[in-house]
Amino acid sequence: MGKATVIPFGPQHPVLPEPLHLDLVVEDERVIEAIPQIGFIHRGLEKLVETRDIHQFIYVAERICGICSFGHSLGYAETVESLMGVEVPKRAQFIRVILHELSRIHSHLLWMGLAADAFGFESLFMHCWRLRERVLDIFEATTGGRVILSAVCIGGVNRDIDDIMMKAIIDKLDSIESDYKEIVDTFLEDSSVKSRLVGVGYLSRRQAEELCMVGPFGRASGAAYDCRMLGSGAYGDLEGFEPIVATEGDCYARCKVRALEVNQSIAIIKELAGKMPHDGIGEKSKLTPPAGSQASCVLEQPRGECYYYARGNGSKNLDRMRMRTPTSQNLAGMVKALEGCDLADVPMVILTIDPCISCSER
Amino acid sequence: MALHSSFDTIQTDDLLALAERKRSDGYRFVQMLCVNTEQGIDALYSFMKGDRLENYTICGIDADVETVPSITGFYLAAFPFENEAHDLFGLRIADIAIDFAGNFYKVAVDKPMTVISPAQKAAREKAAKIAAAKAAKAARGADADLEAKLAGMDPEKAAKVRAAMEAKAAREKAAAESAKHDELERKLAGMDPEKAAKVRAAMEAKAARDAAAKKGGE
Amino acid sequence: MGNFKLGKMTLRSLFGKPETILYPEQTRFQPKGLKGQVVNDIDACILCSICAKRCPTDAITVDKKDGSWSIDRFKCVQCGTCVRDCPKTSLRMDSNYPAPAAEKSVDTLKKPSARPSDASDA
Repeated sequence: MGKATVIPFGPQHPVLPEPLHLDLVVEDERVIEAIPQIGFIHRGLEKLVETRDIHQFIYVAERICGICSFGHSLGYAETVESLMGVEVPKRAQFIRVILHELSRIHSHLLWMGLAADAFGFESLFMHCWRLRERVLDIFEATTGGRVILSAVCIGGVNRDIDDIMMKAIIDKLDSIESDYKEIVDTFLEDSSVKSRLVGVGYLSRRQAEELCMVGPFGRASGAAYDCRMLGSGAYGDLEGFEPIVATEGDCYARCKVRALEVNQSIAIIKELAGKMPHDGIGEKSKLTPPAGSQASCVLEQPRGECYYYARGNGSKNLDRMRMRTPTSQNLAGMVKALEGCDLADVPMVILTIDPCISCSER
Repeated sequence: MALHSSFDTIQTDDLLALAERKRSDGYRFVQMLCVNTEQGIDALYSFMKGDRLENYTICGIDADVETVPSITGFYLAAFPFENEAHDLFGLRIADIAIDFAGNFYKVAVDKPMTVISPAQKAAREKAAKIAAAKAAKAARGADADLEAKLAGMDPEKAAKVRAAMEAKAAREKAAAESAKHDELERKLAGMDPEKAAKVRAAMEAKAARDAAAKKGGE
Repeated sequence: MGNFKLGKMTLRSLFGKPETILYPEQTRFQPKGLKGQVVNDIDACILCSICAKRCPTDAITVDKKDGSWSIDRFKCVQCGTCVRDCPKTSLRMDSNYPAPAAEKSVDTLKKPSARPSDASDA
């Protein structure tokens, strides 16, 4: 038995550019305990809800995170809509889900690139990000922005996607799909990738459920929970939705779940594009949330379930807006996954959780 | 399957029993959040099972005196939220499994989420003023009734009633003023001395300015 | 076997056209509706200051007396709220991004003939 040493890890670029700090208690090469610390970039965005009115806050919400930007504006809008009882036209819901699934594709591709970078597979990293660029091109053509889309308004969406554009999106997705197949093959079959990921950072299904893990992190351990199952918005119009679950519970399984979810997202977009209704895209609601009303809502973001809570006070501003991001929920799971792993595997374990610290601090 | 969310109120003492029950019923801990209200801090706990999202609120916690038990014994995933509630709202939570003792968030201000901005304060004061004006209007209505009544009375009695009413109003005003002053003193006592001195100086200056303005007006 | 799975793709991109361009010599294709910068047609503008009120970042200021409309491009986040809410559709979103600059500045447009202060009734 060696002597226990504490190794500080982060917050400057620990595997990925997120300010996460870990104190790793190490005995020889084995991690005994990991104590996470965040809080380096708290920006007080939740507090801003008191000075920005409900329509302006959409633009604050989508700046919480650059990757799940669209997800946050969507979750915020859905919560405020349920607070005020606003009905959103079906077409607007379809467009929202299509954009949300596109952002899931771009988020997962970004993550896969980062993972490849973390295990030292640079060319794979470049290929992943090149594909992601095509998704951003779709965003640029449909909404006018690459990362910050400003596409949602309370009551609908700001810009329609017409049939010609929809066809172009499907064509683009087809081209992505064929290239993506090669990338997935590399991720799931290549022996160098496998020897780096299989069996690393194992968490059992029981642990995953006890630690209330969400998103691909939980699903890789067999916890079959995905908010999209609840069928809110246009997800209810799908033929059926089955969450992608793996049972291995290691880094490889987390990689696999994300890799397959991209295919699932492409299928969802194609299905929704085929049955797009024509009942308008809605317009900015003129209501104000009633005093004392509260609403909560969950939304499956690329990183997992995100919880939203809003409380109105009868004015144009909200009393409180809360976003509980998937990463803060998964911190407990990350601590457990790190216990007992090799020091050299720490970056891989952290990365497969896909932490977004700026998201969780807001 | 669609999402069903519900809101309930609980007491601080029932929190641990609730968490234990939820855990044995197979619920998933979703999150914990705080809301800064006029009555104190509301702490809201959410649990989820299947499509049921249940929110339980502890209303109006006085963060200066009350302590809330930690539910990390049942749900370890609650530790980021409980630390956050402590760092951003000043809510005291006992026995958190991974307790950072106020160092989870590195923030420049203590309890940043309970700070009220000048703009908000102005808005609140405006709302209070409108409410006061409404009340005054209603009171004026009542006064008019009274006046009519007084007119019907014999002059001596009317004068007595009027004097009594004026005295009562003055008493009430004085009481309100002193309450306001006490409140301020209490707040100042909680602040660090340097800041308190600054606030006091600013207030004195304001009072002087007000007095000057009054003089100028007269 | 599981090795060199990515070889084909890598070789293909070695001989293909590069994905990147030589900025600033070359510029990217700009799709229609790209959110570049907010442009105001000052002749159509009635200086109602709805845009200034709705702006989430307070980037727009309107001075009715002076007849001027100004925008701080370094504050503007191109959300498009002002463009959507403009009652006279004098605002529009141009697809050219504002040029990078070393110093912050405010763009001000002046109404050629400053109308009297009752312009808001128009």
